[in-house]
Amino acid sequence: MCDFSKLWSSDVVKIFPILCGSTSQILQSPKEEVFQNVCRQMSELGSVGIETLTDIVKLEMRSTIRNVIVPKFWVHFQVPRKETVSDPNALFAKFIEAVNELHESYQYLLQMQTRLIQLNRNGPSKTLEKQVVDENGTKTWLRDAMLAQLPPNFDVVIGAFYSVHFRLFTKDIYFSSNTIDSEVLSDLPCTGCNFEVQKCCCQKLIEMVNKTNQKLLELGLIDRLAGSSMTALIKQKIKEHINDTCLGIFDRSHLKELETWLQDVIMSWLRNIFTGGKQCDINECETIQGFKVKLTYFMYETFAQSVISRFFSIIIDYPDSTPAINDLKICMEKIDMRVYITKTLRNALEARLLHPGVNTMDILTGYVAAIKAIRHLDNTGVILEMVTAPIKDYLRKRNDTVRRVVTGLTEEGPTDLSEELAKGESVKDGKDNTTDELSNWENWEPDPFGIDPNILRNTSSKIMRSADIISMVVDIYGSKELFMVEYRNLMADRLLAQLDFNSEKEIRNLELLKIRFGESLLHSCEVMLKDVTDSKRINSHIHGDGNCNENQLFDISSLIVSAQFWPSFNKESLQLPEEIENEFKKYTKAYEAYKGNRTLNWRTVTGRVNILIEIGDRTMEMTVAPTQAVIIYHFQNKSEWGLEELSSLIKVPPSALRRRMSFWQNHGLISETHPGVFTLIEKESEKSQFEEMNITDADEEDLESAMASASDQREEELQVFWSYIVGMLTNLDSMPIDRIHQMLKLFASHSGGVEFTQDELKHFLQRKVREHKLLFSGGVYQLAK
Amino acid sequence: MKLTIKSWTGVASWRWIANDENCGICRMSFESTCPECALPGDDCPLVWGVCSHCFHMHCIVKWLNLQPLNKQCPMCRQSWKFNIH
Repeated sequence: MCDFSKLWSSDVVKIFPILCGSTSQILQSPKEEVFQNVCRQMSELGSVGIETLTDIVKLEMRSTIRNVIVPKFWVHFQVPRKETVSDPNALFAKFIEAVNELHESYQYLLQMQTRLIQLNRNGPSKTLEKQVVDENGTKTWLRDAMLAQLPPNFDVVIGAFYSVHFRLFTKDIYFSSNTIDSEVLSDLPCTGCNFEVQKCCCQKLIEMVNKTNQKLLELGLIDRLAGSSMTALIKQKIKEHINDTCLGIFDRSHLKELETWLQDVIMSWLRNIFTGGKQCDINECETIQGFKVKLTYFMYETFAQSVISRFFSIIIDYPDSTPAINDLKICMEKIDMRVYITKTLRNALEARLLHPGVNTMDILTGYVAAIKAIRHLDNTGVILEMVTAPIKDYLRKRNDTVRRVVTGLTEEGPTDLSEELAKGESVKDGKDNTTDELSNWENWEPDPFGIDPNILRNTSSKIMRSADIISMVVDIYGSKELFMVEYRNLMADRLLAQLDFNSEKEIRNLELLKIRFGESLLHSCEVMLKDVTDSKRINSHIHGDGNCNENQLFDISSLIVSAQFWPSFNKESLQLPEEIENEFKKYTKAYEAYKGNRTLNWRTVTGRVNILIEIGDRTMEMTVAPTQAVIIYHFQNKSEWGLEELSSLIKVPPSALRRRMSFWQNHGLISETHPGVFTLIEKESEKSQFEEMNITDADEEDLESAMASASDQREEELQVFWSYIVGMLTNLDSMPIDRIHQMLKLFASHSGGVEFTQDELKHFLQRKVREHKLLFSGGVYQLAK
Repeated sequence: MKLTIKSWTGVASWRWIANDENCGICRMSFESTCPECALPGDDCPLVWGVCSHCFHMHCIVKWLNLQPLNKQCPMCRQSWKFNIH
């Protein structure tokens, strides 16, 4: 038996200093004799001896890794928080130091391993060689121990290291993209290392970095250790780059440039890290490819998000923003962003458009732009449907929407609706197109996924979703009829306001609308326009008739309307003075002579009178409304009138009369000398103070509509049912409103189909209560006795 | 003060001088049209019979064409003759 303790302390420890706790590298290897000696001694114990020794050394290596090397490495990463913020360069240096140390320790371990192999080779049993020569074993132990002891903030240091690296790497690109004068440049610190240009140490730094990377690669740690912080860094860089280059610029495409940037900058940087500038082997290529795929998707996503966050501006800028939409389209083919875009856009539209501070015309303009832009993005119309639903709901609540739409259709405006109308396509009717879809099955596209199927089912058919802009706008209310009624009212107002018998523009509009909405809905409008042209002919006929022109006080022209086809007039009245009325009678006679069996009912309130006033030494010529003309007419013979007196004479209610009177007060012709008493001002001096008055006030009065308001017309329709209601209440004594509504709906379905809601009925009944025709008590209506 | 009215552009609605409001055949207002017409007035005139009843011309002509033997006024059953003024 040999002396083991002596052998141990002299030879074994010489070969394996790790066994006595040393971790620093030894340069010179022990002599061959020492190996021989240990081998010989061991073999005396049989094969078990060397085996046991090998195991002991392996155990010791593991425990050294776990307890010494790895904790020592991680100590570098426990940075006080303050420092992390203040100096990334210090962290950079620290990381390099840590990696260097780790690498040294690794080299040392490898040395131990080599010696183990050598020992075994000299030993008797060479079969063990395979088990011992497991070089990757050490690497795996190291990696396992490293990851098991991962400190919480380690990626701060790594992140700092790689951001310095990235800065160094992109230095050249930064220079080429920035056109700063070389003189100015020399005064600035180097962008790579932040030192002055003369002291620039980029080259040195780059060498250090490359070495570090190589060591990490050798350890097989780069992916595990740096992967996540590298990805985070790159993502941040991508975000910054997109913000710098693309944000708010919608008039050109960015995707190509971004892809090139990713390839040129980010990918070549990664390649630099993973290969250290050498040719890459297949494994590394795969890692890099994996990174590339991941990062490309991330870039698309970031870009899409940045575009979507500004989508409202894109909508407003459309069609100038088409390139941005095309980019987004490409992104959406790659990543599913439908839900995100719908949500973001809905919120944006609600915040920007749908509040009381925006006027209806602007909302409509936005709506039309949104339709165009989103349709360009997604021609199935599903996103459009979802996004614009709140706009539709909101517009429905505004009471001037219909009027604005109709105005937009017929006048030049910011909504482009008139342009759309001029394209002259007819409104697609859902029913006609079903066969078309079947025969066109080759072009069928499925509904897009990712959208709640309930919404798809509830909303109208696919054809509706692909309807054109005018249909989309008209669709706000779900019916064309409402719009056409409003159009008729607007047209009536315009014709009555102009009274110039010139209807060419209206005829053109009407023809366009007819193409789109069909003739039947616009029939009355056609009659109205024919009335205008007929009136022109009748007027010139009557003017040319000699009999009529005798003793004529003034020229009369008249717009002769077919009352059945016009919206009903409001109920204002005006009694003309006899002298003037006679002139109208003459005109009526002439008409009766011209058109047998027909006569005229004058609507005296509406019209335009061209008058000449001579007062004192001045003359005024102006065009006024009939009521105003009649008022001033009466002041000819009597210079002072009481309000009531004049009111009963011309049959205008006092309140309305006072309003009309103010027109003449503004012109300085009449003043209210006592409350309710108006006097003509004859003298020049008194009127002079009014001279600066704006004569255009007269126009404002003209703008008042001569037509009955929509609600008045509605009540007139309900008046049809009054006799039914009286009948019901006579028989049944008293009824609650919902029963009355039900009964009337039964009747309504028989008689012309006037539709009305319970609310409208309630208004109507309440008016009857106010008129003392009904009693309302305890929730039921009764006839008043 | 002297007021001179130089011209007056007024608004009037026309109506037939008839002793009824609706055509007894189509039940439409006289000022409206018979069911076949689109434009009222000259294009869809009224005619009077000697019995003083009046109808849209198109309505009564159609009615008379449906009566092969004795052409009667649909209101009073007197034989129909156009009253030409």
